[in-house]
Order: sequence, then structure tokens, then C-alpha cells
Amino acid sequence: MIKANDIYKSFGELEVLSGVSFEVEQGEAISIIGPSGSGKSTLLRSLIGLEEINSGELYIEGISVRESGKKTYEKMGMVFQGFNLFPHKTVMGNLIEAPMVVKGIKKSAARAKAAALLKKVGLSDKKDSFPAQLSGGQKQRVAIARALAMEPDIMLFDEPTSSLDPELVGEVLTVIRDLAEENITMLIVTHEMGFARDVSDRVFFMDHGQIISDTVPEKIFVNPESERIQNFLTKILSQN
Amino acid sequence: MFDYIINVSGYILEGSLITFQLYLVTAIFSVILGIAGALGKISKIPLLESILSFYTWVFRGTPLLLQLFFAYYGLPVLGITLEPFPAAALTFIVNYGAYFTEIFRGGIESINEGQYEAAKVLGMNYRQTMSRIIIPQTVKRILPATSNEAINLVKDSALVAVIGLGDLLRAAKVAVTRDFSIIPFIIAAVFYLVISSVIVTVFRKLEEKYSVYE
Repeated sequence: MIKANDIYKSFGELEVLSGVSFEVEQGEAISIIGPSGSGKSTLLRSLIGLEEINSGELYIEGISVRESGKKTYEKMGMVFQGFNLFPHKTVMGNLIEAPMVVKGIKKSAARAKAAALLKKVGLSDKKDSFPAQLSGGQKQRVAIARALAMEPDIMLFDEPTSSLDPELVGEVLTVIRDLAEENITMLIVTHEMGFARDVSDRVFFMDHGQIISDTVPEKIFVNPESERIQNFLTKILSQN
Repeated sequence: MFDYIINVSGYILEGSLITFQLYLVTAIFSVILGIAGALGKISKIPLLESILSFYTWVFRGTPLLLQLFFAYYGLPVLGITLEPFPAAALTFIVNYGAYFTEIFRGGIESINEGQYEAAKVLGMNYRQTMSRIIIPQTVKRILPATSNEAINLVKDSALVAVIGLGDLLRAAKVAVTRDFSIIPFIIAAVFYLVISSVIVTVFRKLEEKYSVYE
């Protein structure tokens, strides 16, 4: 599904990804954890083309990102830490915009699909609200529904709960959990360790621009091999 | 007395026809020029940016009256002779276009980078992103500044009297000289106030309309 081969990415002098390689199979849910500045978000952003990698090869469903350009991005949806909903459009408007404009789907069909997605994320009653009238958790659930409206094969979550008040984290994680059960391929950058442990098939631990551990959750959380992972987990868990 | 006011009002109203025409032509084309200029300024094409920066620097940094003189009395020296109305319209469009370029550029740049990223990951191209996501949000933010310019334009339009265009103010001045009465000036002032008030109201309605979000 996704294959990354020795990816490098720098911002000026600062090298953010230093030889990242991994593979993700169809239907896997991957959590990406690690300290701030370890390159987690940049890795996700590179997958969907928000950042251009300096070297290495990325394949999405066997197609090289470098060669095909835009085509591979269409297979992915992304959810941002800051929601990035379109503030001038209603919830419904946010959901039908891209299907209509990009895919040319008829308005009635797009609305029907959007209504089903809003039901799924529990926000049917908010379809005519503007984003500013929603709570953070509701905004993020709309953002997830908006990404799903494009029917992506792969969903990327970039710290989806990091800007939420603690009491709103649960409702967003529930929606993502439901998606994991539907076997959508997912990559989730998160600081929610309990969630990462429950929901993921594998966990990538990143540090200094590299994936230093790629293993099943039990291995990382119950029996971490490296001292760096132990230190990180101790720090994170003491904060929570 | 009453008859005189009606009479002079009619005369001034005829003059204001030119004012309205100039206003309309300037409003339409300077906004178009402003949008094009703003998109050019954020295009990240260095040559285009330099040219546009020079343009806004010159036209915002020199008096409109000088620009008007230049178009009407200066250009003929270079072999380009314009009638008063085209000279005035051209000057106003280019001058207001420079202000709108800066206002619109500021508005577009105030939109969060996340909006572009959200549009991009949904598969929207540059044109779709600008026309459907960025510019509609910009409109709301630039309304107050645009409203100011729209009122300035009403008042600035009186400058065309100096190149012999028979506008609202010139009609009033002719009446003042002819009749040796101050009333035409008062009537002119009332006309300007009415026009300005209509414009303020229109913009207030627009701002209300856009206030449904945020």
C-alpha cells in the first residue's frame, strides 16, 4: 500500500527526515510516536505532497509519488491538528466542496454521501452550522468526515487531538477507532499513548528523523527495547 | 427660493451624471485591476512582483491630482492626447487599482496557510483553491478597507473639475459664480453626503451578510 525507501528531507540546514524506510499494508493502522521535532509530521506531510522530499522513493499503491505527482495524493485524505475547516462554508458545505469541485459529483449525490458521513461521526444535527459554532471535538469530527467524503484509501492523521481540550479528545478518538475497525489504512501521529496501544497494528517510534523502532504495540509499551523509547514513554506518561 | 433650489438641484444633478459614470467605471475596473495586481504580487514571480511594487509605490506615493494633470496635460507632450473623461477614468482606475492591489494582497495573505493545505489535500488545484476557498474569505476581511476607498472615490471624483470635466462639483461652482449664491455649494454637499451614505449602507449590509461565520 505504502512503501517508503530511504527518505531524506531538510528545511534549509535542518535535516528533518534522515533516511526513513517503511512499508504499510492495506488495512493497517499505524501510530507514529516520538518526541517533538523527530520528523513525525513531516513524514505524513511528505506522503501527501505537502512537503517535497529531497531524496528517496515513495510509492503509494505501487505508484511512485515522484513520477506521478498529483495522482497518488488523490488516494489519501488528511486530518490536521488545527482542523483547517473552511470557515465560510457550513458543515455540509465543507463536506460537499471537494467531491463536487474536484470529482464533479452532482450536488444531490454529494449531499447524500455527506449526510451519511455526518451520521457516522455523530453530527447530523450540525450540518447547517458554521465551523465557528462548533466545539474543537466537533470540528475535528467534521474534518474527518470531510476527508472521508473523497473516499481515500489511506487516511493520515497529524496529531488530531493535540489542540483539543482533554474532555473532547475521547469523541475524536472514538471516530478514529471506528475507522480502524473498518480496515481503512491509517497513519496516525499522536501523543495519546493509550490510544496508540489499543488501536494500532504497529507503532513507529521516531527520533532524530529516523524510525528507530517499527513493531507491534505490546513490544513498545510493555517491553521497550531501547533506552530512548523508555525515556520518552516515562516522560510522556508522567505528563498525563 | 424653493424654485431656485429645485432649479439648481436639477442643474447639479446633470453634472453628477459625469460623477456617477466616472464612479462606476472606476469601481469596476480598479477592482479587477486590484485583484490581478494582488494575485501578481503573491505569485512569487520576482519580475512581476518588482513591477507591481513599483506601480503601487508610484501611484500611492504621488498625489492623485498630479496623476490627473499628468494624464491630461502631460501625456499630450508624449503624443498621447486624451479627452477629459478618458483621461480622468484612466487615472482613477490606475490610482485606485494600486490601492486595491495592496488591500487585496493584505487580505489574501491574512488567510491561514492551513486553508491552502486543506484545499490541496482534498485535491483542489490553484484556481479552485483561490476562487472557492481563499478569495471568498478574503472578501470579508477587506470589506472595511474597501468601504473606505469607496467613500474616498466619491470625494476624489470632484478633482476632475480641474481638467474641465462638468461633474457635480463643477456644476455647483458654475451656479455659485452665475447666481452669486452659496446655496449650490450646500446642495452639492448634500448630494455628496447622500451618495456616501448609500455606499456606507451598502457596505454595512455586506458586512452583516458576511458576519454569519466567524
